Amino acid sequence: MTAPVRVEARQVSLAFGANVVLRDIDVVVEPGEFFALLGPSGCGKSTLLRLIAGFNRAQKGAILIDGEDITQLVPWKRNVGMVFQSYALWPHMTVAQNVAFGLEERRQPRAAVRAKVEDVLALVGLGEYATRRPGQLSGGQQQRVALARTLAIEPRVLLLDEPLSNLDAKLRHHMRRELLAMQRKLGITTIFVTHDQEEAMTTADRIAVMHQGVIQQVGTPIDLYDRPVNRFVAEFVGTINLVPGRTVAGAIDSALGRIARPPDQPLSDGPVQLAFRPHTVALSSAPAPEPGAPGAHHWVDGSVLEREFLGEFVRYRVSAGALELIVDQQHTLGDAGYAPGTRISVGVDPGQLRVLHG
Amino acid sequence: MPPRFSWPILGVALLIAAFLVAFLIVPVLTVIWVAFADPDGGFTLAHFAGFFSLSLMRESFANSLYVALATVLASTLVAVPLAYLTVRFQFRGAIVIQTLGVLPLIMPAFVGAAALQLLFGRSGSLNLILDDWFGFTLPIMQGLNGIVFVETLHYFPFILLNLSVALNNIDVAMEESAQNLGAHGWRLFRRIVFPLAMPGYVAGASLVFIKVFDDLGTPLVLNVTNMLAPQAYLRVTSIGIEDPIGFVICVILVAFSVAAMAGSGAFLRGREFATLQRGGQSLLRRRLAPWQAVLAYGWIGLVLALVLSPHLGVLLLSFSRVWSYSVLPEAWTLAHYATVFGDSSRMIWNTFVYCGLAALIDVSIGTAIAYLVLRTRLPGRQLLDHMATVALAMPGVVLGIGYLRTFRNVEIPLTGTALTASWLIFVLAYSVRRLPYALRSCMAAMQQVHTSLEEAAQNLGASRAGTIRRVIVPLMAGGILAGFVTSFITAAVEISETILLTSRESLAPMSYGIYLYMQSIAGRGPGAALGVISVVMVAFGTYLSHRFVASREAHHIARGKP
Repeated sequence: MTAPVRVEARQVSLAFGANVVLRDIDVVVEPGEFFALLGPSGCGKSTLLRLIAGFNRAQKGAILIDGEDITQLVPWKRNVGMVFQSYALWPHMTVAQNVAFGLEERRQPRAAVRAKVEDVLALVGLGEYATRRPGQLSGGQQQRVALARTLAIEPRVLLLDEPLSNLDAKLRHHMRRELLAMQRKLGITTIFVTHDQEEAMTTADRIAVMHQGVIQQVGTPIDLYDRPVNRFVAEFVGTINLVPGRTVAGAIDSALGRIARPPDQPLSDGPVQLAFRPHTVALSSAPAPEPGAPGAHHWVDGSVLEREFLGEFVRYRVSAGALELIVDQQHTLGDAGYAPGTRISVGVDPGQLRVLHG
Repeated sequence: MPPRFSWPILGVALLIAAFLVAFLIVPVLTVIWVAFADPDGGFTLAHFAGFFSLSLMRESFANSLYVALATVLASTLVAVPLAYLTVRFQFRGAIVIQTLGVLPLIMPAFVGAAALQLLFGRSGSLNLILDDWFGFTLPIMQGLNGIVFVETLHYFPFILLNLSVALNNIDVAMEESAQNLGAHGWRLFRRIVFPLAMPGYVAGASLVFIKVFDDLGTPLVLNVTNMLAPQAYLRVTSIGIEDPIGFVICVILVAFSVAAMAGSGAFLRGREFATLQRGGQSLLRRRLAPWQAVLAYGWIGLVLALVLSPHLGVLLLSFSRVWSYSVLPEAWTLAHYATVFGDSSRMIWNTFVYCGLAALIDVSIGTAIAYLVLRTRLPGRQLLDHMATVALAMPGVVLGIGYLRTFRNVEIPLTGTALTASWLIFVLAYSVRRLPYALRSCMAAMQQVHTSLEEAAQNLGASRAGTIRRVIVPLMAGGILAGFVTSFITAAVEISETILLTSRESLAPMSYGIYLYMQSIAGRGPGAALGVISVVMVAFGTYLSHRFVASREAHHIARGKP
């Protein structure tokens, strides 16, 4: 394997007619990184991937690999391996023929092709399936073949388009770990597209969240979860409560009352959203203390509207004044929780608040 | 749980089996038996030796092979570029190409043959013009190549349609993954696109081969007799039904038919590359570059002109008083239509009766077999399906000769008329030969009726018969009608069996009338008029069956079914 490469999109824009699919995309994927493009369907993530593979042409901007501009390069000269969502295995060829294809196109000597095919099939654990046809394999095996076929050409970059979406839930978890292990072993710069935030969070080194053709935020999974920069990222990554408010002289007024400005967040005057995760909210059957009373939490009166038992925790929908909030409470043995209709106090921890503009 | 056994079900199955055995299996086996039997009933290859010792037979064999293979090749050359254009490029000609796929099929090859003679023959319109302007002529319609030309114009749609479907079903990801791995251009086409479309091509090409190899009408109309099917016909009609050489030819025809079908079947096994994934996309369509557009439209225009020429020729011929040694007819008349409606109204009537009854038998048996196969667990039910489908591989000449031989001494009970000399023989022959078409249509229709719809009827108290009558048949109506129409129109233009089985002119259907008229120069006009009537009938029928199928699909889409 050659040294891992760096992939860069500079000011990339693309539109199909009036339909703008990508808008001023700027992103850098570091050498050896496992990088996820995450977003809902239609956000442009697959288009960006196809742009890197050369199947789409950007109207503006450039794609660079290790500083070399490949924007105008045809797909078959890029040496950028892509695993398709449908796997796209050719049914008229055996597994071995599928895997050998790219090497043959590179006019490698027969013996070298044979050896390489054996190597990569062994790598994905399908050594004894070489003579089968793709139709005779299970979905998981087909995916391994697709991966082996791509890895055989020793691509500079590995692109994975929704690699796990065609597998059932159990296999998906397994393949996720396997993919990650493989990527770590080969050290190849990898970009994968997914709409599943859990998949992105559990595997990627860094994630770019996309929405309506624009990259909303790039960061590590923890970054995105703890410090979303806008409402879209906050809501797309995990579950979150959003409470509208206004900044007033270093504090924030909202339906939760006046809360002191969180220390590490820059604030300008105007409308904001207070964002906090359901599991950071406390519930208590004791009456809410007077505002301004000492203690970490900021309490308001409320009542339980609904509850869902999810095993590890119970998810409540509670009313707190004019607000409806989602609250997750850890479940432990013997804990009966709160029944719908129960009057309770809802405590928000100011230390867990994020302030979002707009 | 579907019923395994009940008396009515068994009764229906046995009745159908008896019909197929009597009118399909026995005649075919008789033909084969005669070809291999010595006068004492023992096995012999002497008849085959006799066949190959005759130079005319060897020549006929070679000619038939040549014509069939050359037609496959020529059809390929016409169809492959057209198919590739439709799936690969974005342009307005696509609809024209789709029309091209249907137009030739609505006119039987033997009907167009005479008209093509007038247009492209030695002294036809084209050669008169060429000779006048440039001083040379093209021997398009001469001898075997004339047959190849006529058959190609008629049968290339089989390759076009099958190949287009196959190409259309290739997922664009198949191509992109190859590009991603370094392939492009011609290598990409050769290694990925072409192999994936191959099953469609093979299916179409083997059909063309069989159809041409077995054709009797076209060579006869073009006056070529040194081919297998015409020789079989001539031996049987001139030397007699006892002459074994005709039967040897039949065995050869059957062997090639079966081999071509089995060969393409073996090739296709495990290669049904329906590669288009759920939510997948067909190959990307590119815009044509200007020079490509010129080539494409040029090719389409040329093929369209050729494809329309038999239709146009027959139409002109039917209105022409004199058309000989001239580019276009020199005088016009409606007399041919008057002749046809006067003298041949009997033939038109016969066609409606024979084909109507045959189609009725076909959809009845088709629906019954579909029910037996899909809705019961009667042991051996698949056999009925297989048996009925055998007819697909049986050349008309073979069935015709088989009927003449098998039923030569059979009288219809209570009438004293020989079966082979009655109108009933046409109904039987047509129904057996066209049964596979109706059967496939009925099968497809019944497969789309979900069993839960029947179970709901039975849950509410309907008996099995009541369920069939009130739920299944109404839901299948579109498919049954489409099957009826297909059987009817293909039987109406059937010529091989027809020529063999017509014992008196008063029994002859239209197709025989066309053939008979076309034999003489004077008869060409009325023949063409009759041809026009049959083309209009077939075109209308084709339109109807498309409508039935389309409305059925719309119906299913409305109910949210794929």
